[in-house]
Amino acid sequence: MSGALLLAWALPFASGVAAYCAVDARAAPGRSAALAGYGIVFGLLLASVASALRARANTAHALSAAAPALLLFALLAGSAAWWRIRRRDAVAPVPHAKLEKWKTVLIIAALFSLAWRGWLALREVLLRPTYPWDAWDAWAVKSKTWFLLGHYAPFVSARDWLAQHPPDAYTGPAWSYPSALAWMQVWFASAAGDWIEPLVNLPWIALWVGLLLAHYGQWRALGLSRPQAVGFVYLLGSLPLLAVHAALAGYADLWVATLLGLALLAWLRWIEQRDRGQLLIAALCACALPLLKLEGTIWLLLLAAVAGYGALPRRRRKMVAAVIVLALVAMALIGKLLLPLYGLGWVSVGTQSIDVPVLGRLPIGWHPGAVGGLFSSLFAQSNWHLLWWLTPVLVVWRWRALRAREATRLLALFLCAGFGFLAFLFLGTDAARWAESFTAFNRLLMHVVPATVTLCALLYCAPHPARRGRASAYAPLHAQA
Amino acid sequence: MIRGFGCALALALIWLLVLGCAAQVQWRTPLRPEQRLTFDASQFRVVMGAASEDGGSLRVGAVGEDGSALQTVPVARLRAADFASLRYRFDGFPRTLELSFVFRRADAPDDVQAVTVPWPGDGWRSVDLGKVPGWQGEITELGFAEYATPQIAPESSAFRPFRFDRAELWSPSWRGSLAALYTSWFGYTPWALLSISALGPQREVAQAAALQPFLVLGGVLSLLAAALILRWSRAQVRRRALVAAVALWVLLDLIWLEDLRAKHQLTEHVYAGKTWSERAALVPDQDVRLAAEQLRGYFATQPPHQLLVVSDSKFVFLRLIYQMLPLNAAPLEQALGLRWPRRDARFVVFQSSQWRYDEKRGALTGAGRAFGVEPVFEAGDVHVYKFRGAP
Repeated sequence: MSGALLLAWALPFASGVAAYCAVDARAAPGRSAALAGYGIVFGLLLASVASALRARANTAHALSAAAPALLLFALLAGSAAWWRIRRRDAVAPVPHAKLEKWKTVLIIAALFSLAWRGWLALREVLLRPTYPWDAWDAWAVKSKTWFLLGHYAPFVSARDWLAQHPPDAYTGPAWSYPSALAWMQVWFASAAGDWIEPLVNLPWIALWVGLLLAHYGQWRALGLSRPQAVGFVYLLGSLPLLAVHAALAGYADLWVATLLGLALLAWLRWIEQRDRGQLLIAALCACALPLLKLEGTIWLLLLAAVAGYGALPRRRRKMVAAVIVLALVAMALIGKLLLPLYGLGWVSVGTQSIDVPVLGRLPIGWHPGAVGGLFSSLFAQSNWHLLWWLTPVLVVWRWRALRAREATRLLALFLCAGFGFLAFLFLGTDAARWAESFTAFNRLLMHVVPATVTLCALLYCAPHPARRGRASAYAPLHAQA
Repeated sequence: MIRGFGCALALALIWLLVLGCAAQVQWRTPLRPEQRLTFDASQFRVVMGAASEDGGSLRVGAVGEDGSALQTVPVARLRAADFASLRYRFDGFPRTLELSFVFRRADAPDDVQAVTVPWPGDGWRSVDLGKVPGWQGEITELGFAEYATPQIAPESSAFRPFRFDRAELWSPSWRGSLAALYTSWFGYTPWALLSISALGPQREVAQAAALQPFLVLGGVLSLLAAALILRWSRAQVRRRALVAAVALWVLLDLIWLEDLRAKHQLTEHVYAGKTWSERAALVPDQDVRLAAEQLRGYFATQPPHQLLVVSDSKFVFLRLIYQMLPLNAAPLEQALGLRWPRRDARFVVFQSSQWRYDEKRGALTGAGRAFGVEPVFEAGDVHVYKFRGAP
């Protein structure tokens, strides 16, 4: 690996870790893993931001143009983190309970299994030119154009392009897609010194690793024991479609899934531990969603709505929620519901159609033909192993545990809203054809998959209500709060 | 002891029932095929490509000009309904090739039916002919075709010599149906463009029922039977259901890991040990890449223009635009219905039968539109026209 590539990887990672530490310096179980996981993800996004801000005029040398700014950020964030860590109370390390041999063997087997597929995915990325359709048609078009041109050029609609407004503009089917990933690819292309697709796509592998590390760390902080957290990390990491998105790199869906999962985990920690740093992390992750993919705006909106609902006093929640929902439904019925959604424009929702300025009109109508596609995707194909068979069973089995804990209640509410949105999109609009052709449903479903596994982990590991009198798995957690 | 024996018997019956349902085999079907037709590969005639006999086998050493090989054998009017399973065995079949089963029916002697079948790998593979569209009536000829795996394998490096050993047709039997089920559930499928969105729908038409629902059904029925027969307590049922769920998950994961490893072997096979520039040239659509190189070379000597690209296939024109970057190109279909392009725009036509240059009118016509143009560059399937306005 060349010095430039080494720097291109080390600097974002250091910046990301420093940023996480500066925001949350508190000690918690699994902190190192959370730090590494969030550090990887934040770092890659910071590299993107630095490139977007500093390398517009010189994309071929984005690394040298943006690295000083990122280094400065890393130093400042590192100083803040150092200061905060020095100020925090000394925490005596908690001795790990000795694991039984069979558990150790299972943990090693699970980690080996994850490492093996990670290795296969890494080799796949390192060897293959960009493969999946939207990776080259949608997500790498801007980055390749900017890098090979040597400077930024705007992407506009076909109408504006034909009018040459502005004169140096480009267009394409994905002209309106967000540019965060494109700038990140420019960063790595400049470090590689050429448009070398395997090196440009390598962040997807890092993202997959970051997703697993961050989930392990946050699950530990939320009360799971080491074997439980490793078990659920195996469950998450073994999901085939997640590994496919790492191996056939280039789509934005794994990014949305990761950022949404990380936002929800930090938000859950805020709910349980009232840690302001985690709230800020949740907000940062959630606000990054629209910068990744247009659907990110929807997830941000749903997350903000559920978080707002959770912030209301409990006795007023139902009333306020009912009033808002009724108002929205009434506005939709009279065709006056206009939602200003970042990246999507003023989205108009009516009874006949939804008008999204950058996408066009989505007629509303029941599409029963898509039901088979949805069921096949969830329960028959190899996309998700047994996740969608087991999740409902677990929810029913641990219903009382779900109801007993604010964090799981709100997470379940968010997931219900998310599944509702997906069901409406794929059964109630023309997007149904993508469910029937299996081209979109699984990828959008992927966005909520890490969050679903988090719900399963929290429910499965929750103390059984009937045995609450005994030692609670959450005792240390509540004590922290 | 008796309960344990009864439980084992019940579990065996349950899995037999589940597998029988999955394979869609009828109870009266015999365990072994009553009728078998065996074809040594040496009986096959080489229609495309080149091959030599090796005992009863056929060593296929080259593909034809169109990049495919084809071997067929005439059969004496066999009734399709009499045979429910196709079995085939190859040795050293490259991962970069795809295999199709081809046959000709007496009622349509001019039509060749072809269906993609699972990659042969080592040992026997089976296909349920009941799921092959068109397998009906009287069959007069059957055979196998081999060609570069679409969407994934570059044609220039796809072929390696292999040996075709034997093919068999079996009458309906439990053994044949279960073998086809095994091939479908545990066989390898190469990456495809759809893999990023769904794992399951494959190019093979003759697909068996999906594994997961039957695995879950068998697992749930087994648990219920064991709980009833062995009189498990609620706590025992919970614990063992958990173990069963984990075991099924791990089983599915092992199958997936093996599939991922096999998928990756194709990538290693094509790209390992090569420099990036060599690998970049080894894309499945090498013709598009070559066209893009020609266009980049031509436009390097020209002032910047807006390019409107057209081809019959959406995949092709989008790939061409990506491969041409940083040339400023857009699909023509995006511009149709909008305002006219500027006078200095250029039309790039590649592998298109819908858009044609009308020399008499000096116009590029297609999709009910006509643009006045003047040809400025041509290389193979690539044509570039300068826009002049209305024809």
